[in-house]
Amino acid sequence: MFSSIQGVADALVGQQYIPSEEIATVLFLAERLGKPVLVEGPAGVGKTELAKVWSQATGRRLFRLQCYEGLDESKALYEWEYAKQMLYTQLLREKLHDLLAEATSLADAADRLAREEDVFFSERFLLQRPLLRAIQADVPSLLLIDEIDRSDAEFEAFLLEVLSDFQVSVPELGTLKAKVHPAVVLTSNNTRELSDALKRRCLYLYIDYPSIEQELRIVQLKVPELGPELARQAVELVQRLRQLDLRKQPSVSETLDWARSLVTLNAAAIDEATLRSTITVLLKHERDVLRARRLRLSDNGAGREEYGETPR
Amino acid sequence: MERRLVEFVAALRAAGVRVSVAESEDCFRAVEAVGVQDRTVFRDILAASLVKERRDLPTFNDLFPLYFGHGQPPMLRPQDALSEDEEELLRQALEELAGRLNELLRRLLDARALSQEELEAMQRQGGPPPRRSPRSRDWRARQLLRALGLKELEELLNELFEKLAALGMSEEGMERLRALLGHNLEALEEQLRHFAGQAAARQHVEEQERRPGPDLLDRPFSHLSEAEAHALRQEVRRLAARLRSRAALRQRRGRRGGLDAKATVRANQRYAGVPLDLRFKRRRLKPKLVLICDISTSVRFCAEFLLRLIYELQDQVAKARSFAFIDHLEEISDDFNEHHPQEAIVSVLRRLPAGHYNTDLGQSLAQFCHTKLDAVDRRTTVIILGDGRNNYHDPRLDCFELMKRRARRLVWMNPEAPHLWGTGDSDIQQYIPHCYSVHKVSTLAELAAAVDRLFGA
Repeated sequence: MFSSIQGVADALVGQQYIPSEEIATVLFLAERLGKPVLVEGPAGVGKTELAKVWSQATGRRLFRLQCYEGLDESKALYEWEYAKQMLYTQLLREKLHDLLAEATSLADAADRLAREEDVFFSERFLLQRPLLRAIQADVPSLLLIDEIDRSDAEFEAFLLEVLSDFQVSVPELGTLKAKVHPAVVLTSNNTRELSDALKRRCLYLYIDYPSIEQELRIVQLKVPELGPELARQAVELVQRLRQLDLRKQPSVSETLDWARSLVTLNAAAIDEATLRSTITVLLKHERDVLRARRLRLSDNGAGREEYGETPR
Repeated sequence: MERRLVEFVAALRAAGVRVSVAESEDCFRAVEAVGVQDRTVFRDILAASLVKERRDLPTFNDLFPLYFGHGQPPMLRPQDALSEDEEELLRQALEELAGRLNELLRRLLDARALSQEELEAMQRQGGPPPRRSPRSRDWRARQLLRALGLKELEELLNELFEKLAALGMSEEGMERLRALLGHNLEALEEQLRHFAGQAAARQHVEEQERRPGPDLLDRPFSHLSEAEAHALRQEVRRLAARLRSRAALRQRRGRRGGLDAKATVRANQRYAGVPLDLRFKRRRLKPKLVLICDISTSVRFCAEFLLRLIYELQDQVAKARSFAFIDHLEEISDDFNEHHPQEAIVSVLRRLPAGHYNTDLGQSLAQFCHTKLDAVDRRTTVIILGDGRNNYHDPRLDCFELMKRRARRLVWMNPEAPHLWGTGDSDIQQYIPHCYSVHKVSTLAELAAAVDRLFGA
């Protein structure tokens, strides 16, 4: 699909995503080897976005499965649609009546009914969930399993089977096999340790906060309305904030939100007043905000705090 | 190349990175698919297919250059820097010095790097391989250079340049020669450093293979060396994984609660009220925990492993709050919520350094009852980890009693051997009657069993 690593990078940039060389290399490998990619990194560095962009760049159809505690197979894979089956039984009652009318005994009637069983357990009544949809897709697809660390350990084990063979067995229908192998992206925020078995099957990609140059490129690409000088200032400030010991570090998406709000407010420069009114776009904890306020704006060296560490 | 990769994987494993056979196979396939032209790309490929854990990346970055080079420029030959006349002069000067040239200078002049066999021969003479640190790597490289004659080098060079000057070589020509020799010396040193690092890594691999299987699980905490404790820390993760799957299974197979009428009616509305899909109440089996850990010197290891286990099992626990005490109590939940258990433990131990015989359990319990009692409700299991040695202070049984009344269970974990309970300043016998259960947890295996009991019904 891609001819070279540079080709991957160009395709992603074409979709407004600035990949590091590492990202491009791993995606290229994933396409070549047909392996799932496990993406880790702090929240908001563009893990989910990467999957979306990948699907757009390659024309794969995206199927997204958001994980949460208690997610099970019936939510992820398939479910029988009881209500529809009921409705059909009701509507087909006449026909069933005809069918059973000629039965001579109860056993005969049961046999006749059993012969028609397939009607009710066919794919018609199968409610497909994202995993099955990705497997059954006729066109190349991309399966995004988002925040896998939130799901339970059992679900993770179940996923192993699907990811290694790309096939699923439904007892009533038999084995459903993937027509086209989907590409798979798993993302994790590392709230819990994933099993070694899962990690073994994936290529690993750690996306960290971008360097100052990369982040500047991202801001300029996504919020071109922001002047170049202001953009640089904003990015530098965000990078300095990340040096502090904060409860939650500002993510790239928050940098973008902040850049947009600077545009909306028509800010000419980043001064105390602007920062004070917009800092909550970047920082979401009161303690962090207080800490950041103490950061000297004029100080254009590395992030230094005026009062040093606050006692805790 | 393939051998190199296999050796590299072995070195990673020895350094504690978990690399499976399937992964090294993937790595080969990946290298095949992309090729090895670009060094950074090659690095990224190996990282993506071999290292699945962020904390292992530094190890990877450390070992990679040892096995796949720094991309150092090769040594230069004198012909590259000197004109033909100057070369002639150099040859004359060398003839005059003949017999006194040492190995090192000859190599520098001929731009001859050491071959693998020569390196290994030197290694054998040089005694045991160095330890795995950059410092000892540098040191070893210097040592090998000295073996080649680094000491005499300066003198020889001075003599050589004097001769050259006498023969009439231009100042500028000599400067060029000097720079060239300097460059070659650096390159040679780099090669040696590189070799020393590799030897260290290889040595480490062999040591790992020789090490007997870990029956450390049954080694008492009080007899652990720092190295053994380190090995056990790795073990905790595997142990936690096992406990987790057991706890999860119990959660699933545990008796379901009674019929949830409300949920059933709601769920079956779409079947015209025919109850096809029964809903049951979920039993809450995930425990709520409050840990109160003595982290004075005597029980420090034990406290560390308990905290590690509990926080590795975070997803099987509804809520965990933890407190540490020596002479006073301090809440340490925040350390664990904000950092990885690894870092959190280090920061807590640094914040609360142990003193001498200043443990005051009674005072700490009183403090807990005074300020943190809201952490305990009827669904909470309170775990107290400590040897109950109170330095003859008031045990404050009244506070203990109060905690027992509020909590679902009060569990005591004691790392001391039972025959010492109640001797000297130990107040444990007075606390025991109030406890739901008391466990002796002097080894990791016992600790794991005690933790496992917490997740039972």
